[in-house]
Amino acid sequence: MNMILKVENISRSFGKHKVLKNISFEMDSSVMYGIVGENGSGKSTLLKIIAGEWKADQGSISVAGRIGYCPQKSLLFSQLTVDEHFRYFASAYRIENSMWIARSEMLMDFFNFRQYRKERISNLSGGTQQKLNLSIALLHQPDLLILDEPYNGFDWDTYMKFWAYAGQLRMQGSAILTVTHLITEKDRFDRVFDLIHGHLA
Amino acid sequence: MSGRRIITALSMILRMLFRRRIVIISLAVIPVVFLTVVELTASSKIILFRLASLDKNIFLEQSQKAVSLIFFSCTATGFLVSFLGMNLMQIDNDVNRRLVLCGYNPVELLFASLISLLLVIFSMAVYIGLLINVFIPVMHLHLYIIGLSLIGYVYGCYGLLIGSLIKGKLEGVFLIVLLANIDVGWLQNPMYYAEAHNNLIIRYLPAYNPSQSAIIAAFTDYSGANARFLSILYGSVFLILSMLIFYNKMRIKK
Repeated sequence: MNMILKVENISRSFGKHKVLKNISFEMDSSVMYGIVGENGSGKSTLLKIIAGEWKADQGSISVAGRIGYCPQKSLLFSQLTVDEHFRYFASAYRIENSMWIARSEMLMDFFNFRQYRKERISNLSGGTQQKLNLSIALLHQPDLLILDEPYNGFDWDTYMKFWAYAGQLRMQGSAILTVTHLITEKDRFDRVFDLIHGHLA
Repeated sequence: MSGRRIITALSMILRMLFRRRIVIISLAVIPVVFLTVVELTASSKIILFRLASLDKNIFLEQSQKAVSLIFFSCTATGFLVSFLGMNLMQIDNDVNRRLVLCGYNPVELLFASLISLLLVIFSMAVYIGLLINVFIPVMHLHLYIIGLSLIGYVYGCYGLLIGSLIKGKLEGVFLIVLLANIDVGWLQNPMYYAEAHNNLIIRYLPAYNPSQSAIIAAFTDYSGANARFLSILYGSVFLILSMLIFYNKMRIKK
């Protein structure tokens, strides 16, 4: 197993409220990690800092490999189609045409939304938007996958497919970090971090 | 930086822009409405007026309607393009940030936004330039279109600046309307400022130089080169400020 992520002494405050206090942990390849904690405990904040969306007040993060980040809220362009999203984000990831076309087709088939490929996002249901939101994070086969409650709005079948896909990625060597609220999901992870009062337990 | 990625971003931005029905309606219909209202309401009385950027002894003679039509073509361009510029910076900011997290350089997105704005400005200027010819003959059409493009450039960049500075849509619209209304919608009207007590303030407003260059081209053989140059300078200050703010917002903070 190789170390994919090293988080050292991360702290972050909002005003006087210190949300994260000297958080440190490491993540290895082929391991599935979960972060649990109450609402407002700082789970999403920690993920946003790891993904680079927000800056920590102090501490450092080192990542060995490509990051795939699926935010909690679908971040998509309402006027673009599903196919156009794949093309746009493939350009961001610097993936060759043949590669992203094959990858996007595979993801659309796996999560069952190929029939919407020419539809604009504004015409799609929340669940389908979330499938695309997740697929964008998976498009470049990341070494570190960061997921902030990625299955909001999924039906049962897609929810199960998501876990099957995550298991497949782990087998291929990716490290997966998922924020979850559901206690029932704890068994799915190799390791669970509990975020309590700004500290990881 | 990659040219291919800029082109991809540019094509996506243009698709998003022109898939919004309100954009097409605004760009195509509002200039026609503005000019038609002037045509139907302004009088044909001949008036004598001066242009502030020309020698003070030079007086022009035109109908009130002709002056109003040229002035309102400038107003329509300034208003519409500044809203467009603001939208380019404000809409989908979170998704643009996601693109940056996935590997886009903020400068590539900036270039793509700027090129799309310039394309729209130029198309608007040509459209309004040709449209005005339906109402009145313009002396130097190509220079008049350049003048309109410069109004678009200055106000488009003002829109970019407001869009990058202000997060709220309503607050942004307020700031656009405030300046555009006072400046390009009122004070730059030659019928107004020719008689103004103090036109020093008017000279320093963003629409001064580009509207002078458009009006000079429409009615005279004089050169508006100086006004054109100052317009580019003025717009570029807005542009640089907006780009710096946008870049700072978009870059990954580790």
